[in-house]
Amino acid sequence: MADGNIVMTHLVAGYPNLEESRLAALAMVAGGASYLEVQFPFSDPIADGPLIQGACTDALNEGFSTDKGFEFLASLTAETDVPVFLMTYGNLLMAPGVENFVERAAESGVAGLIIPDLPYDYDEGLYEAGKKAGIPVVPVVIPGIDEERLNAVLGMTPPFIYTAVRKGITGARTTIGEDTVAFLDKLSRSGAKVLAGFGIREKEQVDLLAPHVHGTVVGSALVEIIGRCAEEKRACSGEVKAFVESLI
Amino acid sequence: MAVYNDFFGPYGGRYVAELLRGPLDELEAAFKEAMDDDGFLKELNRFGKEYIGRPTPLLYAEKASKAVGGADIYIKLEGLANTGAHKINNAAGQALLAKRMGKSRIIAETGAGQHGVATAAVCARLGLECRVYMGSEDIKRQRPNVFLMEMFGAEVFPVESGSKTLKDAVNEALRDWASSSADTHYLIGSALGPSPYPDMVREFQSVIGKEVKAEQEKRKLQVRAMVACVGGGSNAIGFFEPFIHSGTPRLIGAEAGGTGPEEGCHAARMTGEGRTGVIQGYKSRFLFDGDGQVLHTHSISAGLDYPGIGPQLAHLGDTGRIEFTSVRDDEALEALRFFASNEGIIFALESAHAGAAGLKIAEQYKPGEAVIINMSGRGDKDIFITAKALQRDKWFDFLNEETKNG
Repeated sequence: MADGNIVMTHLVAGYPNLEESRLAALAMVAGGASYLEVQFPFSDPIADGPLIQGACTDALNEGFSTDKGFEFLASLTAETDVPVFLMTYGNLLMAPGVENFVERAAESGVAGLIIPDLPYDYDEGLYEAGKKAGIPVVPVVIPGIDEERLNAVLGMTPPFIYTAVRKGITGARTTIGEDTVAFLDKLSRSGAKVLAGFGIREKEQVDLLAPHVHGTVVGSALVEIIGRCAEEKRACSGEVKAFVESLI
Repeated sequence: MAVYNDFFGPYGGRYVAELLRGPLDELEAAFKEAMDDDGFLKELNRFGKEYIGRPTPLLYAEKASKAVGGADIYIKLEGLANTGAHKINNAAGQALLAKRMGKSRIIAETGAGQHGVATAAVCARLGLECRVYMGSEDIKRQRPNVFLMEMFGAEVFPVESGSKTLKDAVNEALRDWASSSADTHYLIGSALGPSPYPDMVREFQSVIGKEVKAEQEKRKLQVRAMVACVGGGSNAIGFFEPFIHSGTPRLIGAEAGGTGPEEGCHAARMTGEGRTGVIQGYKSRFLFDGDGQVLHTHSISAGLDYPGIGPQLAHLGDTGRIEFTSVRDDEALEALRFFASNEGIIFALESAHAGAAGLKIAEQYKPGEAVIINMSGRGDKDIFITAKALQRDKWFDFLNEETKNG
């Protein structure tokens, strides 16, 4: 693990193309990312904002497929020791069958699965399949979650919990209030490693969250950099690495 | 209230990220409470009579029936409801519910625009702020409805993501709601989405079927079949609702067959390659590829090209209670022309799919037996599509003149 802040960086597999996204992932690792969150693009990513939806659409237009995604993950997990988490939406699991998808994820070496639209009570067998394949499923919670639901989630003793630090979609900047901090402390006391994200794009925010969580997730800010580089047709590794370094 | 489902067989549910869970729980509680409150039901009923113009007529289509030479064809004229389509029934129900919940802002998504128009109109009437999400492709196809929504004071927000049609407008509305639910109600326009929407929309639309049933009993009609078009399916489920639990009559849903059975050319989820999936918060039959990515769809009607179908309809299709058929663009246009020239009625393009299917079904029966077609809306809004398709040269001449004079 890093000496400074623990940061999970996010990227959309295949955006702007598979090779560029591989180089971006390695640049994140070089910059000091402690975890990678790789999103498999979906045509209708309702929990994401316009920026990530645009990246998903571009990646799909570029020919991304689930097969290519798993090949991408396998090569990435072979190239780096940094744990790689796979994030996507339920229908990508439903299409080939949840168990089948989870097995393939396990074979590609991922450290965990984040599927926001398959919550524990509508999970289509995801948690069971994860247990069987030996991959933790990372529940996603939010501040203000109903107490009973939070207890049900914590009762499953997940090794990791992913939490948004505000309501809404990805992308916009987040201000972190006292209530949020109290919620993060409560989650951390459960023993799960808490990963907190949504609108985190500056070191100041990461520093503020660091004492209260295991790690901070930075997504849209990086997708933005990668997109800008693609548009200007220039390599993005240097900028991505420098940005991640600046957070740690 | 009568029924609360969450799941319909294997379909339905609430497959949403945690941030939408709270607003849905709040809505479910408020909906159940309202449906148990005579005061709310009376208010809804009065709104229906005074503002919507209910009950809508059930027309005996005598000339059409004779031309077909089969069953007596009846048409439920939902197009005579205020704003021109059945969508107003649900918009009114949900807007009154939202007001009761203390919400001051309504967001909605729209494809063909009828739901947007109905929502905007009801918001104007009830003094609620309104934003309607609409794919930029649909805005191009349905300019007259955009104009009406703006007249009612709604903000029409163009959606540029994905295929720029209804499903993308749904995504945007869900995103808005995720951060605005404290003061905002998301008024979904069809009997789909996460629970409690499929139950709620069906209940508000069931007024259509209840009126049909009352007329059936009054006129002692031997109804053999009822036919409705199915995009998401709100007119169909409302029209069928009082008949679902009995074995008769036959219930038939007409999907968009588009230009043909090739991928991307239609929106046939039940008669085509639809498969079970989880998209936009609910489990149902959708059109998606082997990886789970939603496929592009096509229909001449902007209201029927949605890649999913309401979960209750999907289940009733599986169990055989509802039969599904698909109707191509050209067949719908032909039915539109047939009913215009034989009955003096212009069907909306969506409803013309039901009209086309109804004509075929009517051939299977004899006079004295009844087939009822739901005209879910009238075709005023489609004039830029239908006139181009049916009278291309004259229409273009007219538009050119208008542009010159403008």
